[in-house]
Amino acid sequence: MSLIRQIWLLVLSVVLLSLLGSVAVSTGSLRQLMQTQLQLKNSDNATALALAMSQQGGDAELMSLLISAQFDTGAYESVVWKRNDGSVAFERHAPPLVSKAPGWFRGLTPIQTQAGVAKVSNGWNAAGSVEVRSQSAYAHDALWSSTLRSALLLLALGSLAGLAALAVLRRIRKPLDNAVAQANAVVRGEFSTVDESKVPELQRLTGAMNSMVMRVKSMFEAQAEQLQVLRQQAHCDALTGMSHRKHFLAELESALARDEGPSHAGLVLLRLRDLAGLNQSLGHVATDQVLLAMARAIQVYPERVHGCLAGRLNGADFALWLPAPRVAAETAEALAEALRASLPAFGPGIQVALGAIELPRERAASHWFAQADVALARAEAGTGVVVQALVTPEHERYLQGERAWRLQISEALQARRARLLEFPVIDRERRLVHLECPLQLRLDEQAEFENAARWLPLAVRNRLTAEVDLCAIALALEANGHDEQWRCVNVAPASLLDGGFVARVRELVFHAPQAARRLGLELAESAATQHFDLLHELGRQLRPLGVRLGLEHAGAGLAQVERLYQAGLDYVKLDSSVVSGVSGDAARAAFVRGMVIMLRSLTLKVYAEGVRDALDVQALWDCEIDGVTGPWATGQLIKP
Amino acid sequence: MSGPRLFFQQLRAGIGLALLLGWAGGGRAWDVPSFLDAAAHRSPRTLVAAKALQQLVERVSTQDEEQRLQALNQFFNQRIAFRDDIEVWGQADYWASPLETLEKGQGDCEDYSIAKYFSLVAAGVPEAKLRMVYVRAQFRGRSQAHMVLAYYAQPQAEPLILDNLVPELRPASARGDLQPVFSFNSEGLWQGVGSASAGNPLARLSQWRDLLAKVKAEGF
Repeated sequence: MSLIRQIWLLVLSVVLLSLLGSVAVSTGSLRQLMQTQLQLKNSDNATALALAMSQQGGDAELMSLLISAQFDTGAYESVVWKRNDGSVAFERHAPPLVSKAPGWFRGLTPIQTQAGVAKVSNGWNAAGSVEVRSQSAYAHDALWSSTLRSALLLLALGSLAGLAALAVLRRIRKPLDNAVAQANAVVRGEFSTVDESKVPELQRLTGAMNSMVMRVKSMFEAQAEQLQVLRQQAHCDALTGMSHRKHFLAELESALARDEGPSHAGLVLLRLRDLAGLNQSLGHVATDQVLLAMARAIQVYPERVHGCLAGRLNGADFALWLPAPRVAAETAEALAEALRASLPAFGPGIQVALGAIELPRERAASHWFAQADVALARAEAGTGVVVQALVTPEHERYLQGERAWRLQISEALQARRARLLEFPVIDRERRLVHLECPLQLRLDEQAEFENAARWLPLAVRNRLTAEVDLCAIALALEANGHDEQWRCVNVAPASLLDGGFVARVRELVFHAPQAARRLGLELAESAATQHFDLLHELGRQLRPLGVRLGLEHAGAGLAQVERLYQAGLDYVKLDSSVVSGVSGDAARAAFVRGMVIMLRSLTLKVYAEGVRDALDVQALWDCEIDGVTGPWATGQLIKP
Repeated sequence: MSGPRLFFQQLRAGIGLALLLGWAGGGRAWDVPSFLDAAAHRSPRTLVAAKALQQLVERVSTQDEEQRLQALNQFFNQRIAFRDDIEVWGQADYWASPLETLEKGQGDCEDYSIAKYFSLVAAGVPEAKLRMVYVRAQFRGRSQAHMVLAYYAQPQAEPLILDNLVPELRPASARGDLQPVFSFNSEGLWQGVGSASAGNPLARLSQWRDLLAKVKAEGF
């Protein structure tokens, strides 16, 4: 039984007991009083009557008349005048009145009185005695009505006491519920603080919980800081702090392979020409300053634009990947402007070549670099800071057909021309953890199913992601209902911005409560960095219903999510740019291990995405990762 | 005693109390040890008087009733000096128990009557034959409220009067100075006393209640 209910019962029984007790006590003492008064009445009236009769000089007629007069004008059951020998000289009787009080009440409160007796005399002669017995029904009537009255009054008072108790309990209940909600949230992995209660006992409890949460927070912060150091070592160039070649390539591969993102993107390569010559003419220190100045100019972009990638490929080469169409050439020009302004300060003869290209995102990384190298080579033909842009006008085709695309996507969703692919996430024992289910749409009735990479960018532009995601969730719930597998579907961060999205997901989940317990929703890391509150709300609404919530494509950015410990997540999938190549690189492995430890401390499961290499898999198991997905996992024989 | 107003006040109080308190009679043995014990607790003088009374009662209880009346009437009329309650007890009206009266050696008309009544009952005279009677007495040319004890050999017979104004036992007809007003005894009323306790709301209504409790404690 809950604490509140126990207190309620206690209050209720105390009120009831005191109510019954006081009614019983007041009735009992009133009964005693009634009985005494009735006895007194009998005695006193007998005496008064005897006194009057004794003054009649022995006239039996007058004495009988006195008895009749007294009997007729009072409430008597009987008045008997007995002679000295005990025989009756005169008597008057009336049938006992019946009380209005119920029989059980009269049984519980008997009123027993003796007849009042007094001696009658005539001068010196004894003239017998009178016995007076009063009606007692009226006493019971009075007793009954007063008992009813006091019971009613006490009932009203008891109700007031009950109401007061209710109000107090409400007051206690709120902070108690808060504390319980906080405890539940901690169990779910949401480490949030609550307002301290004003009730001292609860205040201590919530205080303890809050300080526990704060400790988790500081632990998390310490780990995040440590992770930052590890990241520097694993991913960054020592001089500039930018991603080194290996990491930049991994990041680029991941960005190109992702479903979401623009259809076209740009790449700018920058080369500080004649590095060896500069080293000689300016000296090492000055050359490093030049490199740092270039790095600073480039870093501006990833710092401001989400999804923008920047790296130092080797000594003199930098790369900047821009996740947007039609910006590569402008960006290259802007960079060139900035460099033209800043570099002469370090010395004469500093030459930078910039090659900018724009390609559809589905092209392989090698193709991107081949194209960019061509542009860079052309730029190197000039002198000074030279920009060469190679931008194909390919994307125009998309722009012209955009309206048609939007219509096609909407129609495909309405006609349910959609299906879920299934990629396994497996654990160390090669058991299935869950199925990753990206959505495919058949945009044309006659056409093939197409990957999200084809149509998702347009869906994002046209604010159709909520519809797309709901379609995927509905399909996953349907499939879960059939085979009882765990399925996770992607949710675009943009869908969170759609006001009705969470409510509609809830509705879907309500209609399939069983299947919902095997549903996972995963959002890109950017959902946590950019829309933390919306993500938190999504978890708050759906996780109590059994839906799991995860982040995908997670990387270093995760450590920057300040309140990750409050987010209320179930799992995190580390991006392939983080987990690829861990087998041959101790620093990368250390970073992954650090991530796993940090996320584990928040009771999150950690999976690795896009794993191709069996050696990497082994290294990831050594990092204590919970599961892997990607081409390698898809190729494994899955244990049931 | 003084004045008709006090007389009627006393009459009212006495009658009410006597009946209310429910004296009951019959079959009640005199508890001599507790009587002497109670007397010893008061004073040696009381004990002497109590022993004298006890011996007298014991001696006369074998004799006929009239002799018992004579002896006990004489015993109290000789031993007790008449004094108003206000002088003896500091109260306008106080009904003393037989032992209290013996201890003080003083008392007023009720105290005589009470002591005689209980002593006679102790000596085996049936309560039905005894009545305390409120009378108006002509004494030294003045009308006075007064109380005497009347003895009825037969219910219809003329009573013998035990009085302190006229110490001799006389029939009622020989007492033209007394005009009876009201009489009572404890006949049929004793059961109310048995349950008398501090919890009984009838208790403490008056000194008469105290008297009954005292009398009971003294072994009567």
